[in-house]
Amino acid sequence: MTDHFTTRREAAEQTKVLEEPQGQGDTSTAREELGGGLSAPPANRTVADEGPMAAPKSGSSADAALCDSAPPSEEPDAEATTVEEPVVSPHPYATQLRNERIAKEKRLGARRETLLYLDGVNKTFDGFKAINNLSLVVQRGEMRAIIGPNGAGKTTMMDIITGKTKPDSGDVFFAGDVDLTKYDEAAIASMGIGRKFQKPTVFEGLTIEDNLRLSMEGSRSVLETLFHRKSGKENDLVEDILEETRLGERRHAKAADLSHGQKQWLEIGMLLAQDPELLLVDEPVAGMTDAETEETARLLRKISETRSVVVVEHDMHFVRMLDVKVTCLHEGTVLSEGSLDHVSSDERVIEVYLGR
Amino acid sequence: MIFAKYLGPRVWFLVLLLVAAAILVPMASLWLPRSHPLHVPSYAVPLIGKYICYALLALSLDLVWGYLGILSLGHGAFFALGGYAMGMYLMRQIGSRGVYGDPVLPDFMVFLNWQELPWYWSGFDQFWFAALMVMVAPGLLAFVFGFFAFRSRVTGVYLSIITQAMTYALLLAFFRNDMGFGGNNGLTDFKDILGFSIQAPETRASLFAASCIALAIGVLIVGAITRSKLGNLMIAVRDAESRTRFIGWRPEYVKLFAFTVSAVMAGIAGALYVPQVGIINPGEFDPVNSIEVVVWAAVGGRGTLIGPVLGALLVNYGKTVFTSIAPQYWLFVLGGLFVFVTIFLPRGIVGTFDHGWDAWKARRASKEREMGEGAAEPAPGPAE
Amino acid sequence: MTVSLAACSFASFLRTFATFFTLLILSFTTLPATAQDAAAPADASAVESAEAATQDPAAIVQSFGGKQSYDDTEEVISRLAATGDPAVARALRALREGDLYWRESDEAVFIAARDGDNYALTDPYTGEEAGTAPRGDMSKVRVKNSIRNAVTGALGSLTLRSDNPGQRMRAANTLFDEANPDMIEPLEAAIEAEEDASIRTAMEQARAAAILQSDRPEEEKAEVTSVLAQRGDRQAQTYLNAFAASTEDDAARVAATSAVAQIQSNINFWNQAQNVWYGLSLGSVLLLAAIGLAITFGVMGVINMAHGEMVMLGAYTTFVVQELIRNHAPELFAWSLAIALPLAFLVSGLVGLGMERGLIRFLYGRPLETLLATFGVSLILQQAVRTIFGPTNREVGNPDWMSGAFEVGLMSVTWNRLWIIVFALVVFAGLLLVLNKTVLGLQMRAVTQNRQMASAMGIRTPWVDAMTFALGSGIAGIAGVALSQIDNVSPNLGQGYIIDSFMVVVFGGVGNLWGTLVGAMSLGVINKFLEPYAGAVLGKIVVLVIIILFIQKRPRGLFAQKGRFVDA
Ligand SMILES: Nc1ncnc2c1ncn2[C@@H]1O[C@H](COP(=O)(O)OP(=O)(O)O)[C@@H](O)[C@H]1O
Ligand SMILES: [Mg+2]
Repeated sequence: MTDHFTTRREAAEQTKVLEEPQGQGDTSTAREELGGGLSAPPANRTVADEGPMAAPKSGSSADAALCDSAPPSEEPDAEATTVEEPVVSPHPYATQLRNERIAKEKRLGARRETLLYLDGVNKTFDGFKAINNLSLVVQRGEMRAIIGPNGAGKTTMMDIITGKTKPDSGDVFFAGDVDLTKYDEAAIASMGIGRKFQKPTVFEGLTIEDNLRLSMEGSRSVLETLFHRKSGKENDLVEDILEETRLGERRHAKAADLSHGQKQWLEIGMLLAQDPELLLVDEPVAGMTDAETEETARLLRKISETRSVVVVEHDMHFVRMLDVKVTCLHEGTVLSEGSLDHVSSDERVIEVYLGR
Repeated sequence: MIFAKYLGPRVWFLVLLLVAAAILVPMASLWLPRSHPLHVPSYAVPLIGKYICYALLALSLDLVWGYLGILSLGHGAFFALGGYAMGMYLMRQIGSRGVYGDPVLPDFMVFLNWQELPWYWSGFDQFWFAALMVMVAPGLLAFVFGFFAFRSRVTGVYLSIITQAMTYALLLAFFRNDMGFGGNNGLTDFKDILGFSIQAPETRASLFAASCIALAIGVLIVGAITRSKLGNLMIAVRDAESRTRFIGWRPEYVKLFAFTVSAVMAGIAGALYVPQVGIINPGEFDPVNSIEVVVWAAVGGRGTLIGPVLGALLVNYGKTVFTSIAPQYWLFVLGGLFVFVTIFLPRGIVGTFDHGWDAWKARRASKEREMGEGAAEPAPGPAE
Repeated sequence: MTVSLAACSFASFLRTFATFFTLLILSFTTLPATAQDAAAPADASAVESAEAATQDPAAIVQSFGGKQSYDDTEEVISRLAATGDPAVARALRALREGDLYWRESDEAVFIAARDGDNYALTDPYTGEEAGTAPRGDMSKVRVKNSIRNAVTGALGSLTLRSDNPGQRMRAANTLFDEANPDMIEPLEAAIEAEEDASIRTAMEQARAAAILQSDRPEEEKAEVTSVLAQRGDRQAQTYLNAFAASTEDDAARVAATSAVAQIQSNINFWNQAQNVWYGLSLGSVLLLAAIGLAITFGVMGVINMAHGEMVMLGAYTTFVVQELIRNHAPELFAWSLAIALPLAFLVSGLVGLGMERGLIRFLYGRPLETLLATFGVSLILQQAVRTIFGPTNREVGNPDWMSGAFEVGLMSVTWNRLWIIVFALVVFAGLLLVLNKTVLGLQMRAVTQNRQMASAMGIRTPWVDAMTFALGSGIAGIAGVALSQIDNVSPNLGQGYIIDSFMVVVFGGVGNLWGTLVGAMSLGVINKFLEPYAGAVLGKIVVLVIIILFIQKRPRGLFAQKGRFVDA
């Protein structure tokens, strides 16, 4: 595991993401080549809507596309073709085992190309099913908007991805083969999953600059922080982010003294400093003015040029501005997925939003 | 030096003051004639020395409470453990001068008919070993306790309560005779430290100086920790612990580190305290003692370096004065102090002063800016 | 909506407290009466003395005094036997042993034992000490063998044939203790005649004990070992041990040894039962002390370090009430606790209310500061009580129905412990009722679960907080009344309970009264089971360590509140 995030860090060091957004192609390939030493094919972020798991029609179709591993020998489908390879042993059980293994590899192979892979996830709170057989796939470099009425389980889904909540059952994989359910928040964050909370939480007792420095990608060893020296590279990054989030003037102010909107921006700035591969953003524009909303959309789009982003938002206007693939959650399940127009014309979505 | 810039002049002043006290007070006590107006009476030296040890204890608590938000109600336990480690050394130094004249066994063991020294008393005849244990015993306890408590994310009042239970458990344990720490009576009747008579004015003066130096070093260490990136991380953990996890930090390690360092400091304070007061007994584990430490830090101002020092000196001086005038009312005063500080002075003396100062500076700055704009000058931002 | 709720909540507040009080008072007013009923069989001699008023046995015993012929003595013996009062056995036995004396001056009869140049005197009927007398002043009641036989016969028939089954039972038990071979035959006769199965069993056991002491054949003795094994107490074990050690016969020894082992397991069982009982008793004390804390902590998240002092105030209220009663209306003493209860509730409740309004409400959202401020209050309260009542322990009396003990099987149960368990459970049940059936309770639960939501629904959370705090403190006061019965009433009373109460709350989990109940009882029982192995102090330490380790696994306690609002 450790080698995963060290390599990610190295990758990030090779290319300074913020300074050279045009170098994104290099960044991603560098990351993928190093990522766990796997032979992952280059991510097809431009063709995110095609490929093997393109636009599943409903929640369960995600697994239908990815992981149907019905006994291959009986059914003449995709897997059956693999059986035509030279049979090593005539024994039917050996053949079955082999087929299963091949099917598994194939399934994993498909998953390997994804950045975030949720399948059949369930979570019950005191008998209340907050997440119900949820399946969701996010490609590398993709930006995904998640909508859904209140209590649909959007925040809970993020809790599950970031390790705050452990699912009762189901698969949660990052970068293809990292089982996120096995790690805690800190480990998951170090793998490169950043999260912005619904309610902005910044470190109020610290200055804005220190907030950013603490979030900055780098070693998380506690003892090292004691002897930490500010490096030039670090300072440059802070400058960039301060500029990007327009907080430069107040860099030495305590975060507690910021306005609500400024705190939201500071939090986004902290995520930028963290330089995650996957960014989870929970209701970023709640309580923002129209101008601020627009600005945030611009910022998120820019961010998504270099990494994958999952945005949870109510504000349809904002979602339209993002102009990305949309997933609609309801009662913990995927109700509809596709372009915003597709989703918003889906009858079930209309029913859920407008009531019956 | 970068340090100077970060710590600020006030802290340096405190450090210098302590160093000066370490040199001048012993001189004024030993060499100035009694009649001299600056003469420090010999009874006052260990008394002030005691306050200084308390100040170090308060400072150690401040490291975890003020900067990290962990309200430990068990710091008295670390103090007492350090004290016991030192007491064991002093006990072994008595040698055959005890009442029973046993060359190895301390009096209370002879009294209990023990035949040989328990294994955990071995090595304490060596000062270096005792000095090591002064740090290791409280540090180890804090480490183990903290490891379990922080790992399972016990926070807030829950943590406070179990730290209190910890010191309470130790109180009960040390009261037992068969623990081998002198039971009820504790360790006392000390004779020598490092070969010098513990009663001699010169020894007391040296202990005083050592306490001052220890406190000065303590202030510098806490200053260095809190002004480092780790210090920022501690404040981050204090303000939004779960947020630090989501950017990849492990707050439990931050806490474990600070808690252990703090316990070691408290242990050193206890070790310096014991030879100056001449006794250590289980009463030091009393939970009430630990809570009193909290009020020292609160009065002075937690989350500052000089606050706890100031608070410990003020409150304890007040206690000495008050108990000599009207002992039965001291608890009213102490209780009232708890209430008063939490309600009216939550930042403590130093914190309130700083806050007022900052507010005044900010007002002045904004006024200047207005005036600057009024003069239609190209407005430069407030100079940092 | 808000207005009507507010209006209705004030009414409900009154109703809540009224309900609570009625429950409490009901529970306690029934106490003296029931206690006397229950105490009746334990103190049966009082009843019987009324029965035998015409023939006061104590008076008959006195007629041994003065110069008498042997015939006179025998006549007194038969008159004593006729009273059927087992208490005369003491005098009879003393007579047989030659320990019965009469004083020359007034012909009063005593049991005397040599004590230097004096005799130490005991009342022959009650067994109470009766001072000393110079040896010259006392004369012995003379006995010879025929008198001794008469005494033995009288002792047996004395009560074995009584009409009162309780008396027959006691006679059988006395004879069991005596284990006198002379009594085998009277016992056998009585067994024949006895109709009550349990008494017959007791008589058979007495006979078995007597047979072991007799010179009957070993086979017969071996047979009766099983009877003694049935009895299963320490006395039976002693007989069997002695028999096993002395007998020559192998079969008999094997029978005796196996009977001893059987008894040992019985004794072990009762020892465990006794431990559980002690544990429950300790647990109920913990429950009383912790339950108020659980409410305030559960609803407000406030650690009230002065909670122990609320308990102490309740205990001192009891003290004051008893002082007033002693001085002005001593006949009410049996009711003193019932009178103290509502007063203690009020005193502690009002102090709590004052604390909440004057202090804690300024500190909401700052639990650590609240902890410190309430600690300050605890210091002040302690010192205030110390100044008013002095630093030493004050004497709080136990009413009659709270004192004494009785036996269940092989374990002894004291009345005060029993009543405290009952009382703790009643308080617990009352509180459950308040929480589940009153508007205040509903609002308290709402605030516990989600403060913002509750406040948005129009619940006046500050008011709920104040009432909760008053209720929690009041219950601490009631706990103080109970604790005054078993603990020293001193200014430090509360301190001794505060840490344990916190442990109960932490262990049981916040916001759930059942958790507090289970937490208190299990901590009590664990404590008492550890004590024999680890000693009281070490046991306590072990429990603290267990709790610290326990919250590793379940940081929120046994019965944790669930929901996302919990983790802030
Ligand atoms: N820790 C928890 N305990 C109990 N219920 C929870 C918890 N977390 C979430 N829920 C419930 O799960 C449902 C989904 O919540 P959430 O994910 O916050 O929805 P959304 O963010 O889509 O509005 C809600 O009904 C919420 O009450
Ligand atoms: Mg949400």
